[in-house]
Amino acid sequence: MTWLHVANSDQLQEGDVISVSVENKTIAIYQHLGKYYATDNICTHQYALLSDGYFEDGCIECPLHQARFDVRTGQALCAPATKDLQTFPTMLEGSQILLKIE
Amino acid sequence: MKPSYTAGDSHPVLIVGAGQAGATAAAALRKIGYPTPIILCGSELNAPYERPPLSKGVLTNVLNEGSIFIHPASLYEDQAIDLRLGHTVISLDTEKKFAYFSDGSRIEYGSCLLSTGGNARLIPDLPKDAPGVHYVRTLQDARELRSALEKQTHVLVIGGGFLGLEVASSARTNGHAVTLVESAPRLLQRALPAVLSDWLAERAIDFGIKLKLGVEIESVSIQAEGVQVHFKDGTMVSAPVVVVAVGLVPDVELARNAGLQINPENGGISIDARCTSSVPDVYAAGDCASQMNTFFGREVRLESWQNANNQAQIAAATIAGSTLPKNVVPWFWTDQFGWNIQIYGEYEASLEYVLRGARPSSTGPGKCVFLGSKMGVLRHAIAINAGGELRQLQPLFERQLSCVTAAFTNQEQPLRRLVEEALRANAEH
Repeated sequence: MTWLHVANSDQLQEGDVISVSVENKTIAIYQHLGKYYATDNICTHQYALLSDGYFEDGCIECPLHQARFDVRTGQALCAPATKDLQTFPTMLEGSQILLKIE
Repeated sequence: MKPSYTAGDSHPVLIVGAGQAGATAAAALRKIGYPTPIILCGSELNAPYERPPLSKGVLTNVLNEGSIFIHPASLYEDQAIDLRLGHTVISLDTEKKFAYFSDGSRIEYGSCLLSTGGNARLIPDLPKDAPGVHYVRTLQDARELRSALEKQTHVLVIGGGFLGLEVASSARTNGHAVTLVESAPRLLQRALPAVLSDWLAERAIDFGIKLKLGVEIESVSIQAEGVQVHFKDGTMVSAPVVVVAVGLVPDVELARNAGLQINPENGGISIDARCTSSVPDVYAAGDCASQMNTFFGREVRLESWQNANNQAQIAAATIAGSTLPKNVVPWFWTDQFGWNIQIYGEYEASLEYVLRGARPSSTGPGKCVFLGSKMGVLRHAIAINAGGELRQLQPLFERQLSCVTAAFTNQEQPLRRLVEEALRANAEH
């Protein structure tokens, strides 16, 4: 798969999360300690957009029931979520945030 | 290699009640590294499951029932937690530290955690086993109600609390005609300011619910074709399916008979900050427990998923002798009529409320947060479809910092920035 241009670095600041649509998927892009991360934007517990949630210390908390995931690994960290989130590789090229969907 | 949990000749931790608190405490003890045998017993036949989905996804059938279990089935064996389902403890001898089971057996425990939860409050005229009458507390209850709702019908919900509203919402989502009756003049009277009760009532009506507020039951007649409920205002509702959701009675019989102190006001087992009861080596957690709450500043018995988990963690830490987890801001959620409502703190009539955002329309999206404060300190927040925003407020609630709540209504600014400003202002003072 090729790298896709999904956002620009001026769209989010440190500690922000935004939602982008790529190939019929909604994906959350995060900036944490200067790096960009991408995960599936739908909570694995119930339907909710994680980009509406609370992002802190590299972890996203679902806005519905406070399930928490590490955005670097996708790991589900607490109940009610038990299933990990899918993550996607990202890279920054100039001001463009690129993403690879497997 | 699996660790061994037979530590010497020590007596087991006996956890009575295999719900949210019991199952969470068992796993927490292992996570801390506590080596003693653990017996987790419960009267129900299902492995420990989460109750919040019972009135929602389990009823509407959108949820795979397998997803509601608290732990993967393999955890009990892997962590050497002796899960005994269909096992009821009928009495405790707290001096000899014996627990007696309904099958006549007994065990000697080292520590005993009571996480017995509670039972649905019954309306005597609407007994649980009467045809067409349903209560929703257990997975079995929810399954029975779901099968009663397999064909299109009229559902009468008695009780406009969180559970009744969720059941009404789920039944309506499945296309049933739904009437909801509440004896108070407004919905969630003790949990919400009046304006929000009104919004919710309008939302329920838009959703297709027939609402009867401020109406009390006069008499009931149960017939083959359905249940007839006569109300004191002279009206009558006849429905093949009646769901009674008028609250919970904590299950403290075992504790009372064992001589544990019971809080006379809320009926819960009195426990201290470490979840220890008035009797040595007996602890309590969850819906059945009454504890001094630092946020509320008084002893309360909380019926929430968060509290069950939190007290379970505290009880496990106490039993294992490890550091207690920190206090949490009381948090609650409900999903009804397409709204996700989340609440921090509690309603008091004397609070001053401001609104951030606008009322979500009945058709489109929208989100808002109501902020209730007393002398500039946040005491209550209600988020509609805005759980992420509510979460931003947590540091202000946790530390009970003063702030200018009116500033939070500025929607030009993300709430996160406004909270950061409030935290900075507090740091400067």
